[in-house]
Amino acid sequence: MMEEKIIEKDLFTFASFDKYESEHIAAPKYSYWKSVWHTFIKSKFTVGVAIVMLIMIGFAMIQPIISGYDPLIAPNVNDESMRFIKPCKEHIFGTDNLGNEVFDVVWAGAKNSIIIGFVCTFINMIVGIAVGAVWGFSKKMDKWMIEVYNIVSNVPFLLLAMILSYAMGAGMGTLIFVMCITDWIFVAYFIRTQVMIIRDREYNLASKCLGTSTWTMIKNNILPYLVSVIMTYVARMIPSIIGYEVFLSYMGLGLGVTKASLGRMVSTYTSYMNGYPHLFWIPVSVLALLAISLYIVGQKLADATDPRTHM
Amino acid sequence: MSNKDREVILSIKHVDISFDTGHKKKFVAVKDANFDIYKGETFALVGESGSGKTTLGRAILRINPCSAGEIIFEGKRISGKISKAEDRNVIRNIQMIFQDPAASLNERATIDYCVSEGLYNFHLYENEADRSAKVDKALNDVGLLPEHKSRYPHEFSGGQRQRVGIARAMIMDPKFIVADEPISALDVSIRAQVLNLMNKLKAERNLTYLFIAHDLSVVRFIADRIAVIHHGEIVEIADSETLFKYPIHPYTTALLSTVPMPDPIVERTRTHIVYDPSKLDQSGEEREMRELRPGHFLHCTSKEFAEYEEKIAQMEKEQG
Repeated sequence: MMEEKIIEKDLFTFASFDKYESEHIAAPKYSYWKSVWHTFIKSKFTVGVAIVMLIMIGFAMIQPIISGYDPLIAPNVNDESMRFIKPCKEHIFGTDNLGNEVFDVVWAGAKNSIIIGFVCTFINMIVGIAVGAVWGFSKKMDKWMIEVYNIVSNVPFLLLAMILSYAMGAGMGTLIFVMCITDWIFVAYFIRTQVMIIRDREYNLASKCLGTSTWTMIKNNILPYLVSVIMTYVARMIPSIIGYEVFLSYMGLGLGVTKASLGRMVSTYTSYMNGYPHLFWIPVSVLALLAISLYIVGQKLADATDPRTHM
Repeated sequence: MSNKDREVILSIKHVDISFDTGHKKKFVAVKDANFDIYKGETFALVGESGSGKTTLGRAILRINPCSAGEIIFEGKRISGKISKAEDRNVIRNIQMIFQDPAASLNERATIDYCVSEGLYNFHLYENEADRSAKVDKALNDVGLLPEHKSRYPHEFSGGQRQRVGIARAMIMDPKFIVADEPISALDVSIRAQVLNLMNKLKAERNLTYLFIAHDLSVVRFIADRIAVIHHGEIVEIADSETLFKYPIHPYTTALLSTVPMPDPIVERTRTHIVYDPSKLDQSGEEREMRELRPGHFLHCTSKEFAEYEEKIAQMEKEQG
């Protein structure tokens, strides 16, 4: 038989109850851009490529100022001994047919390529995103914009580039103009499709019920979702524009003789391919390294801006 | 209180809503909807999936245009073309609570932005501190904490997210709320919490709800009056109590027979009634809303009306 236990009232106290206790979120605070940064620097390879890219861009911007290279001035043109020197200690990349340091010529050319790549991408993206966002939102605009797209996108690019460069004269401004005049519509079309995918999601309907204007909706409800796809597009566009610049310059349609250009370098040095292969391979390698590193960094940044990779 | 003495806040008059299908024939989602909602009540709209409940709710918010008829809010027409100022007025006074709290919040915006979106649009604050205080209060009213402001929607549970959705609607200080199945996407354990919150807010702020649902047990708990909608046609309107006591329309009885019973013994004896529209009067007479008993309306022909009259008399006799 168990002895009956006496339960004293004062043994018990009321437990406190806090109804807000269950509302707390234990997870650390989430910040989008911080997570982007952490995801990006997680891979050593990416960081390495990013450093290579930054060094190349920095070098291309600074070196030409120091060397003062100008394609119209060839100081050693009359000195036979300065021509076609193979890479050595004094001449890192050797010298070319005019006695110029290939090292100086390459970086001056890279500088122009990079400037054109970035400026054109920037203009195309700004115009393309602005037009594409409104295009995707407005059903009325879609009807006639699609016709504009059909016309503009079917203009042969090379033909347009040729006509414009003959009409306006070769140069940096013309080249940027040529690369932007039709390219923005492809960006706009791409953005339009993306906007249409998320336009009718319920949270946009909720914003509409709260009286949010179209522009605010584009800014706060649509574009933040597109950061990742826009980054992917940028990552493809910069190297492709650099490639196009080289191609057009190679064809003689790009930068004139007054500006250093990787494309024209490749085209002039091709004739010395047998005797002095380094003249050909150095600018091509610099171009390839630049394009690849830009592409990889862009791709990795695009991955990092996708919040699904943040976990 | 007789319905005639009550103040009508929203009135739906012969509303048709149709959608373009790309063919010549349009898809009619709602046919000749006709009812009044009184100030301060919870009016429920029930029906199966695809019956046009949400379409009608969205027409009130001016998301879906009406193809015929008109919607009157506080004596003013709000359907069709109205001035910008009136449109803004509708937005201020009529708000919506959405079905899926995961889909209806912007995942890339903080709770602070989600809740204050309406304040920004109408500039309903004096300064930044005032806005912040208003958001804090709105969150507090739905049982959330001010510390949640810097969080993102994906960090919250379903019930919390739905309460953020409610806070976002309430901060506009609306008079009328369209609640589109606000609890059907939630876990069963927190449904009551959200319903109680909605009832509490309604009492505090003198709100009127249009509660769209397909779950009759929920509707019985929250609604004052119920309209049953089937294939875009409102078939029966009655007080909540009357509808459950005297379900007349065959579709209503069929719908009621689908409610599961919490008692396993009763549940076993429950029989499904299948609604068969071919058994209705096929004479081709136009159906219209007829008042069977005060406040109890049925969509029927005159022949059916006579049958229903007999049926309700029988039921009244049985139930005393």
